[in-house]
Amino acid sequence: MSIFSFTLIFAMAALSICLVMTAIRFAIGPTLPDRITAFDLFVANVIGIVAIYTELTGNVDFIDVAIILSLFGFLGSISFAYYLMKSTR
Amino acid sequence: MLENVNFLLIREIISSVFIIIGVMFMLIATIGLLRFPDFYIRMSAITKGATLGLGLILTGMGIYFNEPDMFLKVALIISFTFITSPVAAHVIGRTAVRNKIPFWPKTNLDEFKGYLRKDHMTRNHQKEEKEQKP
Amino acid sequence: MKTFFVHLLIALISSYVYFKYGDPIFPYNAIWAVVVWSAIMVVLWLTTPLYHKSYFRKLPKAIAFVAYFLKELVVANLKVAYDILTPHYRLQPTVVALPLSVTTDFEITVLAGIITLTPGTLSIDVSSDKKILYVHSLYLKHNDAEQLKQSLKQGFERRLMELTA
Repeated sequence: MSIFSFTLIFAMAALSICLVMTAIRFAIGPTLPDRITAFDLFVANVIGIVAIYTELTGNVDFIDVAIILSLFGFLGSISFAYYLMKSTR
Repeated sequence: MLENVNFLLIREIISSVFIIIGVMFMLIATIGLLRFPDFYIRMSAITKGATLGLGLILTGMGIYFNEPDMFLKVALIISFTFITSPVAAHVIGRTAVRNKIPFWPKTNLDEFKGYLRKDHMTRNHQKEEKEQKP
Repeated sequence: MKTFFVHLLIALISSYVYFKYGDPIFPYNAIWAVVVWSAIMVVLWLTTPLYHKSYFRKLPKAIAFVAYFLKELVVANLKVAYDILTPHYRLQPTVVALPLSVTTDFEITVLAGIITLTPGTLSIDVSSDKKILYVHSLYLKHNDAEQLKQSLKQGFERRLMELTA
């Protein structure tokens, strides 16, 4: 096992810990905007995991997943915020 | 002379350094998400950390693969993240203010009180007028 | 601004075609790609006095602006990271009302985005007449809101106005 794949696996583990901590904030977040923010960070973490997985397997096709995910994460958080603003007026 | 250099090793080392720094920024942002006391402070810690961390990880990946296609796709994702992340943060922050999410008690709100009173009052007023018209 | 985007597209497409289908002197790597891309940008920049006079002197300022923005981004992250990792935080959050000198919607959008991405500040809302931008800031030195406003105005707004004026 080379030092490079060790680095990648370490980075993968660190990002998984990030996912768990974000999920804790998603569960205990006192208000709805807190949860939307946690969702935003969730999407960023998953994009990072997809990038590192692409590098680990050497399969170039996976990067398209990251492009689509970055598009849909933005769309998701914007539509949640819009819905929240509409529903409270 | 150039034939003796192991380019793959150099690329792997540069890529590892970028990825480690990016992951560190992301981990710090996530710890901040758990630790900070107030919604607005949490959000201003997260948008910066996640954006910079993601940019560094993707740059490292683009350097490792060493193909024109890959570099173009990575540049696409990075520019898209840098454009959309502050817009999303602004929209969520505005929604939070309109929904009266409480600030941290230590926050200095002197210049904001006028906005909170005036803008909400006028908006409610206009809404009432609209409802009365039809 | 339009000229810049057209040049950016031309440089990206031509350098991509050069590396994909042409016959590069060195084999592809990231530094060499950036060098070729910026060489094409410089050649296009040298032709601009013929049809777009002001772009010729604006581009150096734009590069300085981007460099300043990246520096501020890294410094902001290190500052916040230090505050997250030490057990007692030295936060003094405050909300300031920043009077805007920029007028068009595009400039306000860019300014709000840049303020969100830099040191401990977060743009919350724009007043309904587009005159005031409300900024939430983490650090306030000596309870001096005027100093913070001056640094924001001198740092970003002045440079942005020089670019778009």
